[in-house]
Amino acid sequence: MNRSLPFEVFRYAAISLALAVTLVPTLWMASMAFKPIAEWSAAGVDLTWWPKNPTLDNFRFIFGTSTSDLIVALDRTAGKPILSSLFSAVFGTLIAMGCGTAAAYGLSRFGSGKNLPLALIQLRLFPPMAVMIPVMIMWAFLGMVDSWWGLALIYGIVTLPFAFWLMKTFFDDMPREIEDAALVEGCSRSRVFMKITLPMMRPALASSALFVFILNWSDYLIALLLTTREWVTIPVYMASLSSSMTGQLYGAKAALGLIAAVPPVIMGIAIQRHLVRGLTFGALKQ
Amino acid sequence: MTSLANPEKVSMADVALDDSLRAEDGGRRLGFLLTLPAQLLVLFIAVFPLLMQLYISLTDWSPLDGIGWWQAYELWNSFANYTDLMADSRFWSALGRTALVMAICVPAEFLIGLGLAILFVDDFVGKRVFYSIMLIPMMVVPAVAGYMFFMLFQSGGPVNDILSGLTGMNVAIAWLSDPTTALIAVMIADIWQWTPLMFLILLAGLVGVPEDQVRAATLLGASWWQRFRTIVLPKMKTIIVIALAIRVIENFKIFDTLYIMTGGGPGVATETISVYIYKVTQQDLIWGYVAAIALVILVALSILVSLAISRMNAAKGA
Repeated sequence: MNRSLPFEVFRYAAISLALAVTLVPTLWMASMAFKPIAEWSAAGVDLTWWPKNPTLDNFRFIFGTSTSDLIVALDRTAGKPILSSLFSAVFGTLIAMGCGTAAAYGLSRFGSGKNLPLALIQLRLFPPMAVMIPVMIMWAFLGMVDSWWGLALIYGIVTLPFAFWLMKTFFDDMPREIEDAALVEGCSRSRVFMKITLPMMRPALASSALFVFILNWSDYLIALLLTTREWVTIPVYMASLSSSMTGQLYGAKAALGLIAAVPPVIMGIAIQRHLVRGLTFGALKQ
Repeated sequence: MTSLANPEKVSMADVALDDSLRAEDGGRRLGFLLTLPAQLLVLFIAVFPLLMQLYISLTDWSPLDGIGWWQAYELWNSFANYTDLMADSRFWSALGRTALVMAICVPAEFLIGLGLAILFVDDFVGKRVFYSIMLIPMMVVPAVAGYMFFMLFQSGGPVNDILSGLTGMNVAIAWLSDPTTALIAVMIADIWQWTPLMFLILLAGLVGVPEDQVRAATLLGASWWQRFRTIVLPKMKTIIVIALAIRVIENFKIFDTLYIMTGGGPGVATETISVYIYKVTQQDLIWGYVAAIALVILVALSILVSLAISRMNAAKGA
């Protein structure tokens, strides 16, 4: 819109400031993850911005192979929570993508389930906290509290709206001529769907699945309510990581936070082309 | 499901489909089967739980009573939970606080996001890399973001260190222990995390504004502000509404970052509606009462949304 020199200077200055504000919190955590305990907090001394004696002790500590000068040992390591986050997010994504893709195709091609678009948006609208009482009771009744499969089921339901809407817009965009040709050749409809449509949709399916996975992986509240001990996820485990002897375990938590934060950031950047579509329920395509 | 109930409606819609794909019986059956799992999940999570919630909300039931939820009628209290709620000052102040956080965070995210999006519209060196970096905050797990800001706002933490450097004084604010600064801190964390979403959506909208119209206006001597106000903004209206709606809805649910940073404290200084419900659920364990709160919120939200939708439809028709 504008190309004058002062504007360019202003542009780079403003963007540099925004980048600094964006990066400082993340970098602070990354640097904290590699700091030895003596540099964790600035008790009277100067703040350590960059680890002076970088160490992997924090990572060893949360996996139980070092006590990181803390004398305390953890009663359980980060291994199981990482598995729990991974299982529940992966299987939750499979449920959401399976049901969402099928329903989106049904609506996009055969006009079935016309109530779904609105019903699913409403599902997304409500604060999870306002529907969790019955969910907690039902999950207890079904014996799914504190299990990764119980989490996977609720994640699948919570992210179904995104899977459905994303895939619906992709199916709506897809040209129908190829499907038509196969039908004329005598393929059955279900065969066309399995053998032609789905393979063609592979990139769309991959982007949508990554998007849904990020949402599932990011949950804290639901896991906080539905897991107690055996299958707590990373955020719940992280919040419980503190020791009465040392107070906040800054470095250990930062190490865990880094492990939790890196996968979704990489995935998110990989699918940035489709982020707008996903976040606006397909109302806006980039 | 609808397809079976209203065959006429479906055939109307299918006129738009290609001839060979027109939903004859085979297609309709496949469509029904394909949508069935999603329909069942919606029923499973919407209808039955809501009825259960309504039932429990009329009782004093708590998971500690030792009786199953279906026997909650033994603790029937009619509408006592709802009348209690009207007089529950902690609930109302949590609701007010949620509104305050929303009234500050959403406009701030919108304005900063729009400003950045305007800077990113045309090409410049480094655009792609900067763009990717700008999106990072919204991908960070919110609970982890909460923990980042918990560290940043410690009295010996980097925020005070930067402020000390800028002012030349020794700043040692105990951010998260003071009611006012704690609220400011959690709002800063929310703005940090969700401005990128506004930026992303608004930039997509700005890029979609037809360039020839803008160029024509430039040739006619329109100033930047005139072009922005008369051409760009009207074209962006829908997108702005979508972006604001998404943030209003999500901001109302605010929990993860905030709860990790302050736990709703000090006292109840940062207790938003989700935090309040969580605390009553986990600490007081009066689930009958929680169910009543939750239902009131659900009904209020539904009314608001249907009002908003009908107003939008009216605006579209006019």
